Amino acid sequence: MPTKAQHNLLLPIRSALAGLSIAYTILLSLLPSPAQALPVFARQTGQNCVSCHAGGQFPELTPYGRAFKLTGYTLGTRTVPLSVMGVASYADVRNTSKSDTPSADFQKNGDPLLATGSLFIAGKVTDNIGAFSQITYDNYASQSNDGKYHGHTQADNIDLRYADRFIDANRDVIFGFSLNNNPSIADPWNTAAAWIQYVPAPSPTSYQFIDGNAPFPGFGAGGNIAGLNAYLFWDKTVYAEAGVYQTANHALSLFSAGVADADKTKLQGLNNPYWRLAISHEWGPHNVMVGTSGMIAHVYDSGSDTADPNNLGRFRNVGVDAQYQYLLDPHALTVQMAYMRQKQFYSANTLAGDPSPYFLPDGTTPVAAYNASDTSNIFRTKLTYVYQAKYGGSLSFFNSTGSTNTLNQSAGFDSNGQITSTDPLSTGISSTRVTGNLSGNPATRGFTYEAFWTPEQHVRVGAQYTAYSKFNGAKDNYDGFGRNASDNDTLFLYVWGAY
Amino acid sequence: MKTATCAALGLVLIAAGGCANTQRSRNLNDPQVPAQVTAQQVCSNCHGLDGNSTSPNFPALAGQQEKYFIAQMEGFRNHNRLDPAGFEYMWGLSRHLTDAQIKGLAAYFSQQTPVPKPAGATQLTSRGAEIFDKGIPDKNIPPCMACHGPHGQGNDTFPRIADQHADYLVKQLQVFQRTEQRPEGGVMKQVAHELTQHDMQAVAAYLQALPVGK
Repeated sequence: MPTKAQHNLLLPIRSALAGLSIAYTILLSLLPSPAQALPVFARQTGQNCVSCHAGGQFPELTPYGRAFKLTGYTLGTRTVPLSVMGVASYADVRNTSKSDTPSADFQKNGDPLLATGSLFIAGKVTDNIGAFSQITYDNYASQSNDGKYHGHTQADNIDLRYADRFIDANRDVIFGFSLNNNPSIADPWNTAAAWIQYVPAPSPTSYQFIDGNAPFPGFGAGGNIAGLNAYLFWDKTVYAEAGVYQTANHALSLFSAGVADADKTKLQGLNNPYWRLAISHEWGPHNVMVGTSGMIAHVYDSGSDTADPNNLGRFRNVGVDAQYQYLLDPHALTVQMAYMRQKQFYSANTLAGDPSPYFLPDGTTPVAAYNASDTSNIFRTKLTYVYQAKYGGSLSFFNSTGSTNTLNQSAGFDSNGQITSTDPLSTGISSTRVTGNLSGNPATRGFTYEAFWTPEQHVRVGAQYTAYSKFNGAKDNYDGFGRNASDNDTLFLYVWGAY
Repeated sequence: MKTATCAALGLVLIAAGGCANTQRSRNLNDPQVPAQVTAQQVCSNCHGLDGNSTSPNFPALAGQQEKYFIAQMEGFRNHNRLDPAGFEYMWGLSRHLTDAQIKGLAAYFSQQTPVPKPAGATQLTSRGAEIFDKGIPDKNIPPCMACHGPHGQGNDTFPRIADQHADYLVKQLQVFQRTEQRPEGGVMKQVAHELTQHDMQAVAAYLQALPVGK
């Protein structure tokens, strides 16, 4: 929890941000053509968004956008370092009937809402220092027993940089340092874990199956931690980055501001290295990148005592990614691919804790003991085309596979050989519907089809349809209550704007 | 990382970056930044360090006529050049540049060596060569070389068009032909008026890979 002083400090910020976000999103919803003004980076360079974002589709970067980022956001003219962003949205889950309480399992299903808003403090500070920092207000962060939703504000992506560039006929070396709170946020390619998921995902549970919440290659450590990375981009060809992460506390607690202490990712010291290597090439209107990245993170179990080494688990991530862009006005074509392999080693206390409550269908034989570790593989690929920086569409495929572990079961047979969510026979064993996992396997697979329109460079209106062929390890009856993967297919509409 | 280390690091970073670094600056609102630095740190991102841009989205500037270059930059800065390639990318970048900086950039790029691009299909370039050398008399289209020089090297306010990206040339011909977005190119509006799309592509393909010595 934040201290009282922090709380008092955040209060007016929260209120102001909430007001700003809501007012802005209402404005976006009501006005067919928002005022002609530019977000902070565009104001700084004076350029159109399409200069840095491929086909104008933020946040994917063009080669120029990557150079802008790697040179520390210092190109241009210092300006008022503020921007805001808002998302208005609508979600419709295909089947909401297989649920005990649809109002809880599918909150706000079919209701338009003002989902989130962000304030950015960003831009050039000096010739060598620049910043990208985002504070996000979630209008539906939690719900109280009376059904009322409550908003919440917290630190989102933060990337503070020092950069320099030595360029002449013999060399072109960009190097710098990034103090940030999310592994790979400093990366200039949008196949990086921190960037590959792009449309902000609203919190209500009717959004739990939209593309933004489907599997994406990512690092086990997650965000809101603190790292210092050094990077180098040599001759527009080789990109290398390395750094270490720690818990975002003490002087760096700003990086996790707004996150309750029990929810903060607690890392063991500096024993959490991150690395990245990519090869890039440009020819004509084409450019391509092939890269790899990885991280080892020693993470304490959520909310546990960090003085006890038995609460310490470990993630080992290794990924490969690639991107091809064809950028020649009026066409912008992008093909992205990312794969992440993760090995998760559970803490001693997790493994020594209560065994799985579930039984085999006979109701007498307990399920297998927990595995000490799990392996998962997440693959994503996406094809995007944008015409005239206005009309676009994308097709994404995601496939998550991994080891089966009874530790990950959230549904199963009780001691009467039944699967129940209400425990009518008081066995003390119940299962979760809708999000439950009967198999203990994470396998999830599907496609997302998207069409979007950018009527004006600051606003994108989009429609996504995500269709699942596998969810939580099964095509059919993945939760033990007859819910099938395709029941989770979701239509997601959004109006996403930045000013 | 301890607090003290962190604070020290922050101070080092601020100290290192606190002063203007005009020899490697990307500041576009500092008259003290030499034009060569701006060319290297900013322009090179799209137009190439030596003015030979990789992407056809961005014109090659190597060997460009200084007077033409200056006129275009002033056109961007004054918002007189209205084509999308101009206002989307260049209005902002040029808005605070001084006359001296623009002049310096013109000198920098004029001194770079142009590199021809890959040749197109022979049939296309033959037609392009014909238009370049002789124009299309039936349509009162003069030969390009009459104003742009026998080598397409340009002259004064007539730009160098040799070794320019074909895609860029076609798009600009379309701007002249179909719009009023480049008022300074009134002459080209008349020249391009009767040009067919095929002829635009032909002459652009020829110019992109203009033979050495031509």
